[in-house]
Amino acid sequence: MTTLKKVLKLRTVVSTSAGMALATSCYLAGLQVATMLVGELAWISILVAGLFCMLSAMCFSELTSLYPTAAGIKLFIQNAYNEKAAISIGMFYVILGISMVGAESYLLSSVLTESFNLFGPQADRLFWMVIFILFVGYINYRGIFITGLFQDILTYTMISFLIIVSIYTFTILDVQLVEAVTRPDFTVSNVLTAAGVGVFLYVGFEWVTPLAEETTDYRMIGRGMMIAIGLLSITYSLFVVAMWTGLTEAQLKAGSPIPHILFAGNVFGPVGVGVFVLMSVLASVTSFNAGLLNTSRFAYAMARDNVLPRVFSKLHPDHATPWVAILGLVVFAIALSLLIFFTGQYLFIIVMAAALECIIYVVMALCVLRLRKRQPEKERAYRVPFGKVIPVITIIVFGGLCLGLYADVSCDYAGNVLFHNYWVALVMAAFGGLTLLYTLMVVPVFKRKAAERASQRKRRRPGR
Amino acid sequence: MAASKEIMEALADYQVQCNNNKRLRRMQRDWSKLLHFVGEDTGDKFTMDVVKGEIVSFAEGASGTPDIIVTASSEDLCDMFWGDLNPSQKYLEGEIKVKASQEDVVRLDAITMIIWPDV
Repeated sequence: MTTLKKVLKLRTVVSTSAGMALATSCYLAGLQVATMLVGELAWISILVAGLFCMLSAMCFSELTSLYPTAAGIKLFIQNAYNEKAAISIGMFYVILGISMVGAESYLLSSVLTESFNLFGPQADRLFWMVIFILFVGYINYRGIFITGLFQDILTYTMISFLIIVSIYTFTILDVQLVEAVTRPDFTVSNVLTAAGVGVFLYVGFEWVTPLAEETTDYRMIGRGMMIAIGLLSITYSLFVVAMWTGLTEAQLKAGSPIPHILFAGNVFGPVGVGVFVLMSVLASVTSFNAGLLNTSRFAYAMARDNVLPRVFSKLHPDHATPWVAILGLVVFAIALSLLIFFTGQYLFIIVMAAALECIIYVVMALCVLRLRKRQPEKERAYRVPFGKVIPVITIIVFGGLCLGLYADVSCDYAGNVLFHNYWVALVMAAFGGLTLLYTLMVVPVFKRKAAERASQRKRRRPGR
Repeated sequence: MAASKEIMEALADYQVQCNNNKRLRRMQRDWSKLLHFVGEDTGDKFTMDVVKGEIVSFAEGASGTPDIIVTASSEDLCDMFWGDLNPSQKYLEGEIKVKASQEDVVRLDAITMIIWPDV
């Protein structure tokens, strides 16, 4: 096979996969896992969630080796089921996925508001939220790409930093592991429910699959995802326990959206706060930038495929970026951020994102089984071992985690009810219903108009 | 199945259409890439050299180390170069395969979209 001039190395596949998952909201999600279980034992749920995500990564690996394309998820579902299912689920995934930006921008703005006083707490938060989204939107609009080397440096620095900070914390603070095991909250049921939220910590690891087109060996994507999940498992397990240990009882009860900054202040003083603020900004920018890049390209491709209005396929005359799609997503992200700003329900988005990931992992495992039946002879550079066992376990595990999440109640550290999670299920069902309606009622209109245009157009190829 | 000669004719027209389109040339002015096109059914290969948005040459065979590799049926390649086919649609259906960065995939698709916006 002819190779490309520039091919991605495993190192960059790992850093991209892990880098997309590392975001400011992960610290809060990690603390929520600790709150749901027993703080010192949060690592158990985090490792369990990581293990489950590895099962899903295996399914993604097989699908990517079958269709190594940036069109990824849509193509998997389209070939396993049909185009309508692919459009509905793809749009559902993208719309809800971008909603994570709302939570991320709110949390990052909380971090920056804590560090820089400009106009007052609320105005500052609003200011930073909008600035953050506009900044990332501008990077995308200009077509500025984060290079593989920059991603490598950033991700491995963040992971090393978090591990070193955690180990240092354990040397100066006492972790009550033995006492924690005897607490009544430490139950199998709580471990699994917390693992459901723990899935959020890994959200985005699969966004590395579009890079399959830039590799020489498609199996590298699968290996990269597995290594990334392993690295994230270790990092989060250590850091969440360290953060929990380093926070005071009053800070835990206050339910701050920026626990990692409070932790840094407690353990390392103002310098530590400065470093963590910088880490937060870099993590959020890289994570959101990759998210916006993927979703805007998805919207562009959908518009070119006559699924979305054609206006979304407009390219900027100088930068060749899908500027209408980017602008639309930026407006959507700001609207969501404002919603979170006024309601303060960032945890709602985190639970929703965790449930969304569970659903997508179930769909991917179903696609593996279905495509094995439909296309048994098609070449796969990687096949999930042990036949149907792992995809079936993935379906059961993530289906169960999703249902467990919906049945649960989100509480703060003090045990106060924040919201019943069935509201998350209802919001997601409403979104799902809307995307389905759109697919069944609007998409056929666009397709029909495109077909009419095509029939009126004279073919240029001679003799046809 | 399109013969190699047919694809070369299509490429000649594609070169004229690209190089004469001012809007496209402006958009692609920083884009210099070596492309390989592979006919999946025939095994025919073609090389295209784009320098600052201008197609400076194309030839039969695969020469040099490419930045982008496009693999499709010979019919689809031929239709694509004549502007009779929406490459995005075929790409999303998995019938056109591209090995390249995401940016290059969009830029490649942009050529068809700018020259033949109604496709």
